[in-house]
Amino acid sequence: MLTKTQQESQALVQQTENLWYKDAVIYQLHVRTFCDSNGDGIGDFRGLTNRLDYLQELGINAIWLLPFYPSPLRDDGYDIADYTSVHPSYGSLQDFKDFLKAAHDRRIRVITEMVVNHTSDQHPWFQEARSSRENPKRDWYVWSETDTRYQGVRIIFVDTEMSNWAWDPISKSYYWHRFFNHQPDLNYDNPAVREAMWEVMKFWLDIGVDGFRLDAVPYLIERDGTSCENLPETHEIIRDLRKRLDAAYPGKMLLAEANQWPADVRSYFGNGDEFHMAFHFPLMPRMFMAVKLEDRKPIIEILEQTPQIPDNCQWCIFLRNHDELTLEMVTDVERDYMYDEYAVDKAMRINLGIRRRLAPMMENDRRRVELLTGLLLSMPGTPIIYYGDEIGMGDNVYLGDRNGVRTPMQWNGGWNAGFSSADPERLYSPLISNAVYGYQAINVDSQRRSAHSLLSWTKSVIQTRNAFRAFSRGSIEFLNPTNHRVLAYVRRLGEEKILVVNNLSNSAQAVELSLQQYKGHIPIEMFGRNLFPRIGDLPYLLTLGPYQFFWFRLRRI
Amino acid sequence: MAEETFLEDDFLRQLMSVGEVDLLVGIPSYNNAATMGQTVETIEESFQQNFVRDRVVILNVDGGSSDDTRNVLLQRNERRNGGHRGLTSLRTVHRVSWTYGSAPSSGLAVRTILAAADLLRAKSCAIISPTAGNLTPSWVANLLRPIYRERFDYLAPLYARNKFQGLLARNLLYPMSRAVFGYRIRELYSDEWGFSGRLASQCLDQDVWHEEAVQTRPEAWMGVTAISAELNCCQYFLGQKAAPGSGAGTDIVEAIRQAVGSLFWCLEKYESQWLNRAGSQTVPTFGPDHELCEESPPTNPEKFFAMFRSGVNELEPLLASILTRDTHAQVKAIALLDADKFRFANELWVRTLYEFAGSYHHEVLNRDHLVQSVVPLYRGLLYSFLMQHANSSADEMEADAEQLGLEFERQKPYLVERWKGEKLR
Repeated sequence: MLTKTQQESQALVQQTENLWYKDAVIYQLHVRTFCDSNGDGIGDFRGLTNRLDYLQELGINAIWLLPFYPSPLRDDGYDIADYTSVHPSYGSLQDFKDFLKAAHDRRIRVITEMVVNHTSDQHPWFQEARSSRENPKRDWYVWSETDTRYQGVRIIFVDTEMSNWAWDPISKSYYWHRFFNHQPDLNYDNPAVREAMWEVMKFWLDIGVDGFRLDAVPYLIERDGTSCENLPETHEIIRDLRKRLDAAYPGKMLLAEANQWPADVRSYFGNGDEFHMAFHFPLMPRMFMAVKLEDRKPIIEILEQTPQIPDNCQWCIFLRNHDELTLEMVTDVERDYMYDEYAVDKAMRINLGIRRRLAPMMENDRRRVELLTGLLLSMPGTPIIYYGDEIGMGDNVYLGDRNGVRTPMQWNGGWNAGFSSADPERLYSPLISNAVYGYQAINVDSQRRSAHSLLSWTKSVIQTRNAFRAFSRGSIEFLNPTNHRVLAYVRRLGEEKILVVNNLSNSAQAVELSLQQYKGHIPIEMFGRNLFPRIGDLPYLLTLGPYQFFWFRLRRI
Repeated sequence: MAEETFLEDDFLRQLMSVGEVDLLVGIPSYNNAATMGQTVETIEESFQQNFVRDRVVILNVDGGSSDDTRNVLLQRNERRNGGHRGLTSLRTVHRVSWTYGSAPSSGLAVRTILAAADLLRAKSCAIISPTAGNLTPSWVANLLRPIYRERFDYLAPLYARNKFQGLLARNLLYPMSRAVFGYRIRELYSDEWGFSGRLASQCLDQDVWHEEAVQTRPEAWMGVTAISAELNCCQYFLGQKAAPGSGAGTDIVEAIRQAVGSLFWCLEKYESQWLNRAGSQTVPTFGPDHELCEESPPTNPEKFFAMFRSGVNELEPLLASILTRDTHAQVKAIALLDADKFRFANELWVRTLYEFAGSYHHEVLNRDHLVQSVVPLYRGLLYSFLMQHANSSADEMEADAEQLGLEFERQKPYLVERWKGEKLR
């Protein structure tokens, strides 16, 4: 029999445990890209399981898997044809279960994709729906006799789609799609659809997944005279899902993909009763912009516009991912600037974004890669690291769509970069093979051997972040030194105080920080653990080399 | 021994925080709290509209204002009128304000701005007067852009002026500097101008900052320095000039003392560059070359004639030592004419000024007194001009101005002769 204190203590531990997503460092990968165990040229769950030790060693504590379901793969798996199975190329459901267990054994949680807004046109639901107007599944999708309904709603894939309506020659009517025309939107006004989707989620939760990234959330509901985005009915659906989740699966997490302004995304947190986490899309391009502009203004401005969120919620932040570096949430002026600075070659552009990886965007400048990674890991929010960025992998913008940032993981300098034993021609994608970013130059094994490699540095910085909860749960207070090339802030959780100072510029900078409220504290540099002069009454003077950053623990000793 | 720096540490610290910039706009001020806010807003608006990506700084140099000038500049909120979500300039628009002394000094103000431009490695700079009532964002952009984008080093403004505004520039400063230095730049003496970082550095390095001509009219000296160094110069039509220029105003004595004194000093300083130049060439001009607006002539111009007459009479000994006997006699002769028959011919006006310049060079008397002796003669010229052009069209006046310019050029050998020759008599 537990005492009351023991019960309270246990409840607190459980509560803290349930907020695991706040302390997570998430690693995003596609099964196909990571490791091929059976030599068919395509990564699979067994291969991924074999590489879990690497991820544990890296220090991440959650994996976000891109869609691995049966699919015609016309949109990299975001066109799902069966929600409760595994694409045969990636293995079996049992392989997935084995992977999940192995991850959990290493205290790594697993987040999977739930593409809720639409299915593939190959999904049996859609096949039934289009088969006749009387079919019971007909109302699972959004149909119209004309293509003029919901006029004015923006088209997301502007490079490929002319309309949000597509003609179905079988049922001789139009169906609604916010993404590619082979991805019909589900009709969430139909309770049967909501129920079906909950059943899908229960299927994976019962297996043991720790959370879902819900794709394209703002577009679930359509209404005349609106933008068909962020509608109140969408929030009702999310609240209902969350309620069911909390009741049946406490500690599981929902992450929203809503590429919107922070004020609009805020509503997806509700009163802590909708999503646990949501991506902070506008921050990402502004981190790149700030480094290029050598000015903290873009970051400060967007964070000033970012509303407070409930205590049990968290922003998710990232530098790069499987998609283009989206420039939807920037002004026209900012977008032009980003294109001019980061995507001079038109082949680097797609839709409203840039299809490049971190290292090439930084022109393989290790200092800038580190600075941006340091920002990612020290700003408020749960960071997501895109596979391969920890070793500085390159891209191939000529592969079409966004496939250039989805090339095989580079494990070593040997056959197929250690990714697969298949003939190179059989690989799902060509490897990066140029002299600078090719697998012979950039790979895990060679970087493992060097204590000074980007990989070793990344491990070290993740380890440091993981050791201090001020990074994951603490408040942020921006210092505003007169030198605008320097971005400085204090992360604080109780008595844990961390001073972060970033030089965003390509030249050495001196900066005076107003730290009088920390008078008497000793800054301890967190990587070398060296002591710096005690903070006194005067502004605290620091000099930083080009793109250098400091993390200081402020200790009162 | 090296000169002690005139930049104080606190100012340097502010500049250090700004770092390298692309564009710098300097605002010299003295008790301009009433207009400073609008000026800063207009400049920032110009940055937002035209230089949204660039590194920019607004630098106020103050001559010890007793009002709130500096605070107005520093505390004015950045106007956010841009696109999405109020985001405008991509970078921080820096504002720096510095008090360089307890009394206003154009020279020290400009020197401070040049020093900042040099330290911040500004590519293009403009100086804007906080009293420019009709300042627009495009003015600011037009002062900066040709230097920034087209690699000019010096930019003089062009204004739409009222017919009887800016007469000192029209009748003396422009045509004489055009003939002497060989470039047709109309507004060397202006509250607004643009310059490159390269010109700023060149000017900063010169040991002239103690000279009165530089202290009072640094803009003209900078322009002449650019011309003499054969840097790339241009003009940009800005629009209507609202503030009164130096013409028939009541401060004509001070205007001539400063402007003509500055011009003569520049002649002295750069004689090796102009003595062998003949004719004049145009400089690239953006927008219309000039524009004159209809305006009634000043009332009671007869007072200028009366002052001319009395001046010629009272200053006879001085004029006798400045002018040749023949020129002096002709001046005295026209002073005896009836007001309605009076004309100050271009030929005589030009010859008179060239003889003044020669005497300035030979220091026949105190140079300040010499320059001030131009005043009564200019009043005579002014009266003649007003009588002649009371009903002239803008085109007629412009044609006449061109004739005057050509007359200055035609007689330039005479200036050279006087300059190189012995003292008069």
